[in-house]
Amino acid sequence: MDVFNGLMQGFAVALSPGALALCFVGVLLGTVVGVLPGLGPPATIAMLLPLTFKMEPTGAMIMLAGIYYGAKYGGSTTSILLNVPGESASVVTCLDGYQMARKGRAGAALGISAIASFIAGSFGVVALMLVAPPLAKLSLAFSSPEYFALMVLGLAMVVLLAGESLTKALLSMLVGLWIASMGTDLFSATSRFTFGQTSLLGGIDFVVVAIGLFAVGEVMANMESSEPAQMLPLPKGLRNLMPTWQDMKDCRFAFVNGSVIGFLIGVLPGAGSTIASFLSYGVEKAVSRHPEKFGTGVIEGVAAPEGANNAETGGALVPLLTLGIPGSGTTAILLAALVLWGFKPGPLFIEESPAMFWGLVASMYIGNVMLLILNLPLVGVFAQLLKLPGYAMYPLILGVSMIGVYTASGSVFDLGLLCVFGLVGYAMRRLHFPTGPMVLGLVLGDAMEKALRQSLMMSQGDLAILWQRPIPAALLAIAGILLVVPLFKKFNAVRVQVIDQEG
Amino acid sequence: MHDAIRKGDFWAGLFLAALGAFIVEESMGWIYLGEEGPGAGFFPRWYGIAMVLLSLLMVAGAVFKGPPATRSRAVAWGEIRRAMGCWAALVVCIALLKVLGFLIAFSLLGWFLIAVMFRQPQKIALGVSVGGSLGFYLLFSFGLDLSLPGGMLF
Amino acid sequence: MRATENTLSRRLALLAASALLAASPRAWAQAPWKPTKPVDLVVHTGPGGGSDVLARSIAVMLEKEKLLTVRVQVINKTGGNSAVAAAYLSEKRGDTHTIGLFTSVWIATPLTSAEAKVAVRDLTPVARLMLEPAVFAVRADSPFKTMRDFIEAARANPGKLKQSGGSLTSRDSIMRQALQQHTATKWAYVSFQGGGERVAALLGGHVDMMVIEPQEAGEHIRAGKMRVLAQIAEKPLSGYPGVPTLKEAGYDVTVPPQMRGVLAPPATPREVLAFWEDLFAKLHATPSWQKYMLDNQLEEGFLTGPEFPKAIDKVENELRTQYQQAGVKTVR
Repeated sequence: MDVFNGLMQGFAVALSPGALALCFVGVLLGTVVGVLPGLGPPATIAMLLPLTFKMEPTGAMIMLAGIYYGAKYGGSTTSILLNVPGESASVVTCLDGYQMARKGRAGAALGISAIASFIAGSFGVVALMLVAPPLAKLSLAFSSPEYFALMVLGLAMVVLLAGESLTKALLSMLVGLWIASMGTDLFSATSRFTFGQTSLLGGIDFVVVAIGLFAVGEVMANMESSEPAQMLPLPKGLRNLMPTWQDMKDCRFAFVNGSVIGFLIGVLPGAGSTIASFLSYGVEKAVSRHPEKFGTGVIEGVAAPEGANNAETGGALVPLLTLGIPGSGTTAILLAALVLWGFKPGPLFIEESPAMFWGLVASMYIGNVMLLILNLPLVGVFAQLLKLPGYAMYPLILGVSMIGVYTASGSVFDLGLLCVFGLVGYAMRRLHFPTGPMVLGLVLGDAMEKALRQSLMMSQGDLAILWQRPIPAALLAIAGILLVVPLFKKFNAVRVQVIDQEG
Repeated sequence: MHDAIRKGDFWAGLFLAALGAFIVEESMGWIYLGEEGPGAGFFPRWYGIAMVLLSLLMVAGAVFKGPPATRSRAVAWGEIRRAMGCWAALVVCIALLKVLGFLIAFSLLGWFLIAVMFRQPQKIALGVSVGGSLGFYLLFSFGLDLSLPGGMLF
Repeated sequence: MRATENTLSRRLALLAASALLAASPRAWAQAPWKPTKPVDLVVHTGPGGGSDVLARSIAVMLEKEKLLTVRVQVINKTGGNSAVAAAYLSEKRGDTHTIGLFTSVWIATPLTSAEAKVAVRDLTPVARLMLEPAVFAVRADSPFKTMRDFIEAARANPGKLKQSGGSLTSRDSIMRQALQQHTATKWAYVSFQGGGERVAALLGGHVDMMVIEPQEAGEHIRAGKMRVLAQIAEKPLSGYPGVPTLKEAGYDVTVPPQMRGVLAPPATPREVLAFWEDLFAKLHATPSWQKYMLDNQLEEGFLTGPEFPKAIDKVENELRTQYQQAGVKTVR
């Protein structure tokens, strides 16, 4: 069945009143879930599964998928307004989004987030539709050596996130690597850095670290002055409530960047939306004309990662539907749901269940439109939240943080960890250590170590596997350039300084 | 200000060097290179060593760098005290969760922050903290059927 | 006559007295225990994981077959390879409305992790629900057509062939250790965290073979991407008529079976335990359950009563031996 016919059939399914209603419910629920920190799509979908048994499967899938990509739209809200990442992929949005809010441009940040999400989300659906089967084959060529190179590239982004002191950024990243290695080692079943605690056997959850470092640390830093200053300046006038045409122009490349990188990373099983958002942020900064401004409230710094984490959902559905391989927690549940309903995701899925596949694809188009329409007015609503005075906001942020962590993990131990990381975040702020690299190290460190060890197991200990294969060689070369160029620039600057002084 | 940062850098560097040394020491107890590839001790040893080297670099920088810039401000201990006070309140709140439950513990935290730290009138403090508590309860526990940290009372 | 009236009234009084006695609370205490509020079913995976899906399916089946009047809710307690879930269940001592769904991982983890302080024997065994078979799979275009092909190739090229699987303590790894020992061959083992990654490694040609559960492999086999060399099961599975068991293929190697079952918190009262045992026995007999077992290619293994703890101990001892032979440090 060719694409056009398939799509027509899909729209026939997706535009029926029942499917439209379920789509709306799904995306609405997804947005709510995304806005609330800690509560994520996997848990929500799992809770709703029993209800879906009484529904018609295609409709049920449309709803569950709506929750999945809808959550990506909502995740940026608390990141921008409160510096609390709504879910792990939204951490990067905190970097520039919150800074924009501090300058009074919260509305523009929220708005561009919705727009970038829409563009990238739609791109993801189109790509899913057009290139799913061939891309799936390509994704199988990606294995541990390629992942390792990708992670190295990601960590090289630290250099870009460094800000003033490279040493401090690197140290921050190394601490992140350390936290990532806490827990049971996959390969040897040794427990590392668990300090005898059962609760640390599984490692420390990323959400706890992110919320502690960013949100709690920020509240503590703000508590220093006893002035109950207004939390964030209200966006004044339409200029700041919505992105301007100039903003949209500035983000031209970011839209493309987010869509492509997000989708490609999504296709790789196991890579995840956090990596997608970090990479697209890094690339955006690398090609920008004003890279030093990133981290102070640059709008492209919001558009790129937000787009990436939406396009990633389209990408993640590629291995799920065409290979039957789930790439992440949420896709694992969607796979389980499909199997429970009697479907068979895999190479024969598109042929055998065209109604489900094309219906899903068509509904994703519709869903993205619905989300754009839902989210843009919400910008105004959420911006009103900023009217709250500081002394009321900060306790509320702490409350939201506690609830977010508790609903994510259900353990009071993790709340204790929240306090620890809050203190760490505060200390880092006072000592001018950047917090971004620590999060990056935490996310990538674990994956990088696993990929390296798997690669060496595959090659019998021969490191050459990393540059004998084309993809890792290319990625490592890019990482090398990224690392060397800034050092070169610094070297040059020092050289010029020396020459000036002598001359 | 530089004086303060220098002092801060110095101590942070020492702390991180100690952490790095701890990591390397722990990693010695695990397999470095097994017959099937690098073992559990491989990665930690290397990033531990990197941590030690970089933090010593930082300590050296703090000690040897030139005189501080013109604005020399003593460490603002007052500010730090306030922030730590807030942190202590959070810790106490979480410690009390098992006993008092979320509703009461969070109300206490809110009241403390607003009334004591921000010196707002009692009415506002109580209003916001209890209101916020109830709001969270309604939204999360009642509306979304999620479990809030529970205690003996709630 | 007065004598008869007296006897009659005495008899009536006796009758009234015994009726009162029968209606007294002490008599009601003999009625069998039943749950009166929603039951928590604890699993050690997150939503979507193997145990989670089974738990939700069980909840659905119990409702469909009207075996339980109250709701079952699935509680995910992830972390520490089941250590967190086991610790949680152990803390629920005395709670009659919490039970746990365990797998062999609950037996294995306390052997190798000092922090996993709760062993299965610290909890109350209810029933073993099933055994999980597995198959050896290779890519469809691989040169290996039988198990012998693979073993002989491994013998000719020691350490060159690769298998993808889970952690060092998982069944895939133990199977490899046992087989290597039995045939005096060697091949490499690459651990991947998720099932999806393991399959991707095989399909992408990065490894040569993997041990996989039939339900996971089913779709790939149907699409012609994978081939099965042998099955690991006591009796041949219905879905794989032409495929020999490992024993039939000439390799008489046994490893501790993967099991799934139900546990209850420590010190569970006898009548509560009797209720759960009875409930799962009834569930096992329903057509929904039999269909589930067939659809998912699971192996029959229902066991309850005193034989069950013995089976657990046997698995534990076998695992301990295997780990020690593989050079994995055991702490208990």
